[in-house]
Amino acid sequence: MKTVKNFMKAILPVILLMLCFPRFVFCYIDPGTGSYVFQIIIAAFVAASFMVKVYWNKIKGFVGRLFLKKEK
Amino acid sequence: MEAQGTLPGSFRDPDGFMFRQQGRLYRQVNHSYRENYDLLIRSGLYQKLSTSELLVSHEEAALNEARTPGAYMVIQPRELPFISYPCEWSFSQLKDAALLTIKIQKIALEHGLSLKDASATNIQFLNGKPLLIDTLSFEKYVAGRPWVAYRQFCQHFLAPLSVMARRDVRLGQLSRIFLDGIPLDLASRLLPFSTRFRFSILSHVHLHARAQRHYQDKPRKTARRALSRFSFLALIDSLESAITGLNWQPRESAWAGYYEHTNYSPAAAEGKRKCVDDFLQLTNPRLVWDIGANTGLFSRLATDRHIPTISLDIDPAAVDMNYRQGRRENNAFLLPLLGDITNPSPGSGWENNERMSLLERGPADAILALALVHHLAIANNLPLARIASLFSRLCRWLIIEFIPKEDSQVQRLLASREDIFPDYHAQGFEAEFSRFFSIARRENIAQSGRFVFLMKSRSAR
Repeated sequence: MKTVKNFMKAILPVILLMLCFPRFVFCYIDPGTGSYVFQIIIAAFVAASFMVKVYWNKIKGFVGRLFLKKEK
Repeated sequence: MEAQGTLPGSFRDPDGFMFRQQGRLYRQVNHSYRENYDLLIRSGLYQKLSTSELLVSHEEAALNEARTPGAYMVIQPRELPFISYPCEWSFSQLKDAALLTIKIQKIALEHGLSLKDASATNIQFLNGKPLLIDTLSFEKYVAGRPWVAYRQFCQHFLAPLSVMARRDVRLGQLSRIFLDGIPLDLASRLLPFSTRFRFSILSHVHLHARAQRHYQDKPRKTARRALSRFSFLALIDSLESAITGLNWQPRESAWAGYYEHTNYSPAAAEGKRKCVDDFLQLTNPRLVWDIGANTGLFSRLATDRHIPTISLDIDPAAVDMNYRQGRRENNAFLLPLLGDITNPSPGSGWENNERMSLLERGPADAILALALVHHLAIANNLPLARIASLFSRLCRWLIIEFIPKEDSQVQRLLASREDIFPDYHAQGFEAEFSRFFSIARRENIAQSGRFVFLMKSRSAR
């Protein structure tokens, strides 16, 4: 069950990635283009979890400061 | 126009180059880099990074030191005692270098700049910690523009660390061949299938490799969509998590457990330690290479004397343990490196010259070669004269141990092979080494048949 869950966790973003390729314009491309295009796609995915992380840290910091004030 | 005396390894950058003049090291900054250099200084980024010892510090020199027209500035960076390369680093060293690159990129973004290079060779080790040495690696951050060094970071850091952690740590040696980092398609093929279930490796290595293949050498389409600052930060954060999540635990290898399995009595071990320490005190070297250093037990005799010490060993586990221990001790003088004296790092890159061979980086003031000669002479069939000849070119002072054939460690080497070494005895050793060295001291280690010699190279400058 855990393997299936892990597999789904890994494969789902791949499917979504395939659906989310950005719109393109034509021009001649250097070998680093794959990396250039790919990072835009992958960044869109990791941005969501990064947002959760940023806000979670803000909440943790806020709560931490509250307790610190109370102790003082 | 390229100046005479440009140091190999810095000539590719159109924005500047390193050169040496009257023994001093300089970096010319060209007008093409003017805006970025000014921003680096004006934004406070240089100050912040150099005071935190994350970026090499420099002083601005007189412009008339410039070597070519088009110079905007000449700077004099702090000189490092030794240059090392990624294929010589252990897993933890490469990981620390990767995390330093990410840390610098985050700080740079706060100051309105971004790294345009994420090459592992831009990192060196100083005071036991990684340090960025390329002052010209920064450019103004332009909102919406993706990270130009993303591919390089993945190839130079994430790919080698992944294959080292998930397949075999010895694959770090691939950096010796692939100077621009391990190609991602190769890393993807080397990694076990299970790594596809780990999002960070799946995305930044496997899918990234597929994307590269998809767009390679085709008159194709390029993205119009930009990368927001938030997404940029998310990408950096994702790379940081990917690196942090990679771990390799050195299990006890034959060498890493060496000191627990030696045949020294406590008195002999102490006698050897004292003898080596006395010789170090007597010679007071400025730089020591400890060859076959293992986990650096004897290297620490030198670092305790505040002597910068290169602690070379062939075993990735021993080097990693040595580095981690040095980091815990805050040992500012120790640099553990992976190296095989029977096959030292070669010169590589353009004209075999962009990266220096190990031998070119010598000579050391002193070499420690303890419990090493029997491995070279017996396990590797190297004639004593050749060993003496190489060491005489590599150092001024040699502190070397001779272990006789009767010793159980040598008997172990001879157990599975014919003894074809009639000249391997103390007199033969002294005779061959006397051709290249003058022997200053010879000490017998108590309760053993072993000797430690202090010798001075006859070809020393």
